[in-house]
Amino acid sequence: MELSDDQSTHTANDEYGRLNPNSLLGGLFFVVSLVFLFYVIPNYINLPPYMQHPLLSPRFLPQLAGWLVLILAFVLMVNGLLYPPKREEADELRQGVPVLRQVLMLAAGAIYAVFFEQFGAIGSGIFASVLLFMASGLKSAWIYVLAVLFPVVVSLLFIHVLNVPLPVGTLWEALLQF
Amino acid sequence: MIELFGLRLKRSVLGAVTAVSLACGGLAQAEEWPDDNIRLVVPYSAGGTTDLLSRKVADLLQRELSTVVVENRPGAGSTVATGQLARGGRGSDHMLLMASPGHTIGASLYPNLRYDPVADFAFIRNVINIPNVMVVPASSPYNTVAEFVEAAREQQLSFSSPGIGSSIHMSGELFKNLTKTQLVHVPFRGSGEALPALLAGDVDVAFENMPTVYPHIQSGKLKALAVTTPQESEFLPGVPTMQQAGAGYGLEDYETSAWFGLIAHKSFPESGLEKLELALEKIMSGDDFQNFLPQFGAVAGEEVGEDFRAMVKSELAKWSEVAEQANLKR
Amino acid sequence: MENISEVLTLFLSIDNFMAIAAGVLIGVVVGAIPGLTATMAVALALPFTFSMEPVTAILLLVGIYKGGMYGGSITAILIRTPGSPAAACTLLDGYPMAQQGQAKKALKTALYSSVVADLISNVALIFFAAYLAKIALNFGPPEYFWLICFSLTIIVSVSGNSAIKGLIAAGLGIIISTIGLDAVYGTQRLTFDNYNLMDRVSFIPLLIGLFAIPEVIDFYTSRVAPHIRTAVSGASLTWKEFKGSLKTVIRGSVIGVIIGAIPGTGATSAAFISYSEAKRTSPRKDNFGKGEVEGVAAAEAGNNGVAGATLIPLLSLGIPGDVITAIILGAFMIHGLTPGPVLFQENLPLVYALFCGILVSSFVLVFVGNAAIRYFSIIADIPKTILLPIVLMFCIYGAYAVNNSTFDIGLMLAFGVLGFLFNRTGVAAAPFLIGFILGPMFEDNLRRTLLISKGDPTIFFRGPIAWVFIMLTVASVAFAFRRYWIARREQA
Repeated sequence: MELSDDQSTHTANDEYGRLNPNSLLGGLFFVVSLVFLFYVIPNYINLPPYMQHPLLSPRFLPQLAGWLVLILAFVLMVNGLLYPPKREEADELRQGVPVLRQVLMLAAGAIYAVFFEQFGAIGSGIFASVLLFMASGLKSAWIYVLAVLFPVVVSLLFIHVLNVPLPVGTLWEALLQF
Repeated sequence: MIELFGLRLKRSVLGAVTAVSLACGGLAQAEEWPDDNIRLVVPYSAGGTTDLLSRKVADLLQRELSTVVVENRPGAGSTVATGQLARGGRGSDHMLLMASPGHTIGASLYPNLRYDPVADFAFIRNVINIPNVMVVPASSPYNTVAEFVEAAREQQLSFSSPGIGSSIHMSGELFKNLTKTQLVHVPFRGSGEALPALLAGDVDVAFENMPTVYPHIQSGKLKALAVTTPQESEFLPGVPTMQQAGAGYGLEDYETSAWFGLIAHKSFPESGLEKLELALEKIMSGDDFQNFLPQFGAVAGEEVGEDFRAMVKSELAKWSEVAEQANLKR
Repeated sequence: MENISEVLTLFLSIDNFMAIAAGVLIGVVVGAIPGLTATMAVALALPFTFSMEPVTAILLLVGIYKGGMYGGSITAILIRTPGSPAAACTLLDGYPMAQQGQAKKALKTALYSSVVADLISNVALIFFAAYLAKIALNFGPPEYFWLICFSLTIIVSVSGNSAIKGLIAAGLGIIISTIGLDAVYGTQRLTFDNYNLMDRVSFIPLLIGLFAIPEVIDFYTSRVAPHIRTAVSGASLTWKEFKGSLKTVIRGSVIGVIIGAIPGTGATSAAFISYSEAKRTSPRKDNFGKGEVEGVAAAEAGNNGVAGATLIPLLSLGIPGDVITAIILGAFMIHGLTPGPVLFQENLPLVYALFCGILVSSFVLVFVGNAAIRYFSIIADIPKTILLPIVLMFCIYGAYAVNNSTFDIGLMLAFGVLGFLFNRTGVAAAPFLIGFILGPMFEDNLRRTLLISKGDPTIFFRGPIAWVFIMLTVASVAFAFRRYWIARREQA
């Protein structure tokens, strides 16, 4: 059962059609590796003016890996077309998720990814945690106290006990100067 | 955070001022610097030589001034952290950086740096100098630099380094340039990986930092052919300098060493520079520092202020040329 | 006799015991926090050891190292957040166990496997150091090359349900690993002129992103499921169960010792090789990846077997095998000691005092580990609605702290999205990680070999060590194919 046992006994109802995750994934990786091999490598991996041996080329390993992905993606695609995989039970839980829940998660991610330096470790920690608690529909007030308490305690722990500096927040620094 | 630690901050300021005033022997014109923690930026990851030396210096420095917090900001051969320092901004009046050969080598290797490695900084003091040693495995047929160069002109020999663009790699490239030989560079990731290959004789030579190879020279597994500083090292009596041993082979001006010195943003407060110079003078003459140096085969750095700047400037010229000739400029 | 009393005077001091206990405790706690690694903890503790006695100072650092090796597994098992790279392997079976309400059993398995492996590793250090050091010195670039080839064959066994997808993931991991400046020529590879990418992709953000973040994303893109108590109060590990895994633990420890004695290979490879070996030989091989006690035991044994053994090249040759031992080497030097043969000649009592302390640290790990399990396992009872935002916060702080860079936060979140997509499409993340770790080692050693031989390929077959690993590689590949054909025939 080692190399490809996504496919197994066929029963009509719990199967995907030809356009199943495996054939799509295979197709996607196939295209990605083609782009990688024939556009990204020639353009973004520079060759030195002189090499002692062709295997020493900076392009050798990326090309090797690229071809590996290309061939296996093709196999996966064909495999997916010939033996459509079964549906998973977990998919059920993924239907009908409130949009707000996902939007709030993205917002929290954006705060960390984009505004960490501006809001500082504590600030962004509080904002993001509050958003995420709201996303789960938590209502009791003490939970929101936690959302403030945790970032404060953890940052102080990082900074003072572990001696790991975290940003204070350029926004607050700018405000303090006025 | 600022408000939360107002209390702690004031106490440390008081402590620092008293310490400094004591240090200056009562001169004590309660200057305001340092009125915050000093941050010492290490442009490499935790655990390397630069990090280790910086933490020691920070430890000694904070006994004289205020708390010194060490921050590791590795990236692109030290140029990321150095670029951040050059940009300045809030807090840069308490920010120091432990510069090393990477400061000039990085500047000669990396494209479009947005700073000038000489003009954009205040140079405080070169603190520690570690010589490099040219070593060959004990099984090597070469016993002098002259023999080695003769052989390297006949055949292709190889040298190891802990990575491309390290001062050890560049020392080898400089050697290659000056002697007009075709040494092959074999890069490893860190001296820990490079050393076994040298000991086993898989590579022919290395221009390693003294502390890395010293125990192996002592135990007879490596032969030291020359030290790369203009003076012989007291740790390796009888081992000639490269300039002596390589005379006649183009090595008359060969000089490399791993130096570690403090730099800061160019608009660093004048009073801070003075206090740092005094504090460094004091700790560097202290027993703690003097006992620390031999463990690394190191000597105290001498260049202060503008002398230090001049030294960096000449280093930069040297490495730029080597990088150009070795085709390393990107 | 004189020596023994000298050793005892050096070793029997309250300071030493305190240092070991404090070290192991710091290591376990820091190791368990995502993003904070034992390496960082050792580097941060170093300045505090400047003023200590040499033995005390080094025992503190070694304690942190060992604690950190184990600590990484706690959060890996409880919240799928590997505290250390090697714990990524523990998570493969540890986290499914926790989800099935067997968190306590998984944690105890990890602890006792770690302790046994640690002990074996220490014994190897004390009795076979000289012998193993000789092997390490005979490990040149060609030998490394074959070792890496052999290690790459384990990808198939950690690929979960689909080996094809696993190999694709490994290929992608290798591609990501080539980002940065070329190691030989210094040319830019896939950096897109971004400074943050010149030093390769940082490891910790990738690790946390790949494993911890997908759990968070998955939670917020699914409907709220009722909180399942992971029941730390649940069944513990019985001696009978542990005895069943003992063979695996011992084998894993030996693998760990060998890998650890060779500089520059690392605990992560050891953990995965041990895991793959256990899976190959286990009667319950089909349960691997789904919550198998033996899987956790194998991973932790391989991981911790490395800890004592990395001190072998350090103490006997003065060669640090990884960053942590490099810092410990620094600590030796600061105290005026030079590891290597000279140390054994001139400071033998000190070496033996260190050995005593290192042995004691294994036992300290039992107590500290048990306490840690008790306190950390509270995590398992916190509802995910509250836990996950806090985990995310830790991950973000941790990713930032590695390089003090916000770029790494973005990188971690990006790998989080990738890991999430992997989860949804049935692609295993572990092969991606292995490809990322081993890809550069494969390339480096291939190139070094060709450089030192000036292009002569016969060097790849130059000695017995190379041949051993060539044969292991061939056997491992042949074995995978054999299983594949058997599986096919059964299906037909």
